[in-house]
Amino acid sequence: MADVSTTHPGFSTLSFHLSCPASASPFGPRLGRASLKRNNDSPAVEIDTPGFLTTTSRGVIPHLSRDHHRFTEAIRWVLIPFETFLERLPPVPTLQGGSTPLHKFFGYSPLQNIVIMSARDPFDGRELPPNGNDHISSYSMRGVTPSAWRSYVFACRPDIVIALSDTPFTKPPHSQKRLTKSLERSTSWLSNLLRPIELDDDSNSNPHPLNIFVHMVGGTDLAARRIFSEGLLETLRDNEAEAIKPLKRLDDGVTGYVFDLVPLRLSLVAEIDSANISSPDILDTTTVPTAAQMSVDTSALIPLMKASLNSLPTQKIRLVNSAISPHEILRLVRDVGIDVFDAHWAQRAADIGVALDFRFPIVDTGPNNQTHRTKKDLGHNLYDQVYAHDFKRLADCFMDGASSLGQDSPCNRPVCPCAACSPLPPCQHISHSSIDSESYPESVHAPRQFLPPFRRAYLHHLLHTHEMSSHSLLAMHNLSVLDAFLSGVRTVLAHPNGTAVFTTEVDKFVEEYDEEMKVFEDARKSWTEVERARGKGRLAREKDKQAESTLGTAVEL
Amino acid sequence: MQFEVIAKCHTTRARVSRMKLSHGVTMLPTFMPVATQAAIKGLTPQQVESLGVTLMLNNTYHMNLRPGIKVLDDAGGAHRFQGWTRNLLTDSGGFQLVSLSKFTKITEEGALFASPFTGEPTMLTPEESISIQHSIGADIIMQLDDVVSSLTTGPRVGEAMERSVRWLDRCIDYHERSGKKDRHNLFAIVQGGLDHDLRDICLDEMIKRKDRVAGYAIGGLSGGEEKDTFWRIMKQCADKLPEDRPRYSMGIGFAEDLLVCVALGVDMADCVFPTRTARFGVALTFSGPLNLKLAKHAKDLAPIDTQCPCPTCSDGVSRALLHHIITQETAGAHAVTQHNITFQARLMGQARDAIINGTFPDYLRSFFVAYFGDVGYPEWAVNALRSVGVDLLDGISKDVNVVPGDGGKWEYSDRS
Ligand SMILES: [Zn+2]
Ligand SMILES: [Zn+2]
Repeated sequence: MADVSTTHPGFSTLSFHLSCPASASPFGPRLGRASLKRNNDSPAVEIDTPGFLTTTSRGVIPHLSRDHHRFTEAIRWVLIPFETFLERLPPVPTLQGGSTPLHKFFGYSPLQNIVIMSARDPFDGRELPPNGNDHISSYSMRGVTPSAWRSYVFACRPDIVIALSDTPFTKPPHSQKRLTKSLERSTSWLSNLLRPIELDDDSNSNPHPLNIFVHMVGGTDLAARRIFSEGLLETLRDNEAEAIKPLKRLDDGVTGYVFDLVPLRLSLVAEIDSANISSPDILDTTTVPTAAQMSVDTSALIPLMKASLNSLPTQKIRLVNSAISPHEILRLVRDVGIDVFDAHWAQRAADIGVALDFRFPIVDTGPNNQTHRTKKDLGHNLYDQVYAHDFKRLADCFMDGASSLGQDSPCNRPVCPCAACSPLPPCQHISHSSIDSESYPESVHAPRQFLPPFRRAYLHHLLHTHEMSSHSLLAMHNLSVLDAFLSGVRTVLAHPNGTAVFTTEVDKFVEEYDEEMKVFEDARKSWTEVERARGKGRLAREKDKQAESTLGTAVEL
Repeated sequence: MQFEVIAKCHTTRARVSRMKLSHGVTMLPTFMPVATQAAIKGLTPQQVESLGVTLMLNNTYHMNLRPGIKVLDDAGGAHRFQGWTRNLLTDSGGFQLVSLSKFTKITEEGALFASPFTGEPTMLTPEESISIQHSIGADIIMQLDDVVSSLTTGPRVGEAMERSVRWLDRCIDYHERSGKKDRHNLFAIVQGGLDHDLRDICLDEMIKRKDRVAGYAIGGLSGGEEKDTFWRIMKQCADKLPEDRPRYSMGIGFAEDLLVCVALGVDMADCVFPTRTARFGVALTFSGPLNLKLAKHAKDLAPIDTQCPCPTCSDGVSRALLHHIITQETAGAHAVTQHNITFQARLMGQARDAIINGTFPDYLRSFFVAYFGDVGYPEWAVNALRSVGVDLLDGISKDVNVVPGDGGKWEYSDRS
């Protein structure tokens, strides 16, 4: 595939503004706004940070039909790992065409969603064959070469592309030599993506139209991480300079920096391992968060991230994939100044029957009903028998749409806008015959009133009867709770004394909510039991195949 | 219930009616999707309603096990429990008792079975079935019947039919004494297996009780019998059932079966087929089912059906994307489920329009050309429709085969 800037109109431009750097430190918490201007008349897509990105599996948001993900306003950034499309060449999204092919193919709104394309699923830490100089392994049958990647990217025109990088997924720990190679390859693959496109003579388009995020590589070696970043800032000469002209330095073509925490944690665990401390099976990443990952404290990651960012410009977006808890998100906002986090953990909570129920800053929602624990749970394991007769809305921290309207006095609890807590009647009914209107006497123009929320008892029932609707409702709810959480973070940071207030509130949050996430552990156990009781009827082979290709997010169909 | 026939086909026995129940008006003929355990696979009730569905089904047997009557009572009934504001129908639970449990024993008192939770012997009586259905709170409830497989022969078939009549009386008595007759409408179920004489006796007996039942179901079919037998029994029942009561054929879901039943005078049908087949990657279309797992769809950027108003097709979800996610992602199942429910609703909606416009025979012919033109018409369907005055082969210029046997239409897997 050739670069075809002439047959396609220009790409969109991503800009990022730190509206209120709350601290002078390059790593302090910060407020920002990402703005994506498409090459047409539509208004820019604007997303405030700190914010979150929604992860996808095979390109779609797990459990959500298109009408549901449109309804869920929390969904703004979307990450599309491309590797499953390498199973069949050419990858089918490359055939879509148009100005926003990925939005079109997967049904994301160009007005609402910023779509990021990455080669690999950042959560996938399974062991893989080694990458080559000109080849990256992926979990699908084939890997991808840097030149093929470049051609796919230009065909798919994502809003943001994550450059290929050489992160080893062979068994850690990795040698010094391996690290050096990783740096060289990652640099050269970025440079490949930054090769200027050919332009018409009279065109004043940008020869570097892509919005590129780059992985901060170097593993757990502080020096290697620093060297990689310094390499990005180095003024290139000769052939290297020629390759990316008119850019002078690789970093000039980079819009954001990415940290994938899974490989970092796997390497850290391996180091503990080699020091003869036994650790759980590090390659079991099909449950979230793995015991191994939980054993690596956020504090172990922070110096590594700082080493990467230290020399780099502060005004670029910082993205973290696979944070394991809201506690970790808060610490990474506070101590590293991270702007965007993926929602993987919250989305997976929906798979295992957990309805999230927490807020930032914390609020008093009455006595903790889990008296046996000293801290509040982050949510409810709706498999638990205690919910069989519980007719409350999903979260105590939030109101539902219907009952918020009946409130006389203003309530300090916000409404959860998700389709589980605040369902609306359909805005229209498909009419299948000329007389169908007799079924709908009410005026179509009457304002739609919120319906009562879906109750815990109903979700409990759906989970135990293995009905997929449970996961759809929970996925929407959990994304909305995470959205409210990050919106709370932004509100606190916007305070005149933002950093200080934020620090206090983070401490209170950590004090209030259980970081060990026992409720997830319980839910996973219940989930496994129900799956097992149920799995008898189904071919194990089919099920394994599904689990394998969807990285454990599989919910039996 | 208010039931009113508002149009009749000039040729066949098909009719359009208006059925008003406690949760609104449902126009007939209609297909009812099945929400066995208070949910249609992966969808919310609002999504189901948006597809133009005004009547769906819950299974009593399952609802009684989970969430159980206590929870349903506390929730204020199944409508509130699942957030469904339109009409709801429940079966009696008898069919599942027989099909899901080998140990069920039928006595005159009721169906004796081992509780799936405790193993304790448990009795489902006609009175108990009605009482459970009252708790669920469906707008249409079914009598408990003595179900035998449609392949059963011998004296058991007659015995089951006669018992079903006696159980109907017990259901009616219990229902009337409960004082809930205005909210829940009790349907009788015609049994008698594949035996025309037994069916006639059953019809006579049940029609005698017409003033005490709101409608009639035709049961004991669609259980593996030959299609030729199926339509003849269906016709016998539909012909004889009273004009001013809705007629419901249980467990019918294939497009050709639905249209034949409508032509014979059936008003309602239900089946898990459209939602179940969606999960396995089969999308229903007017040119036949489409197996999205086949490799030929892998690069096809067209939707399932460009004419289809469902959320999946109208949003342009491509066959290529569906091929990539189907049987892997629940979202793939949701997309095809939305489409298939819409397909069933379109099939029946277009039948309503055709009956009103006096073009139902043409509708039948054009449906069969598009659906079966390439593989040939099932002989049983040709015969069934001839019995109500429509010759499918009339006016067909091209050669169409008529295929004997039970002829369906499927795209088989190519292993991809
Ligand atoms: Zn919610
Ligand atoms: Zn459709």
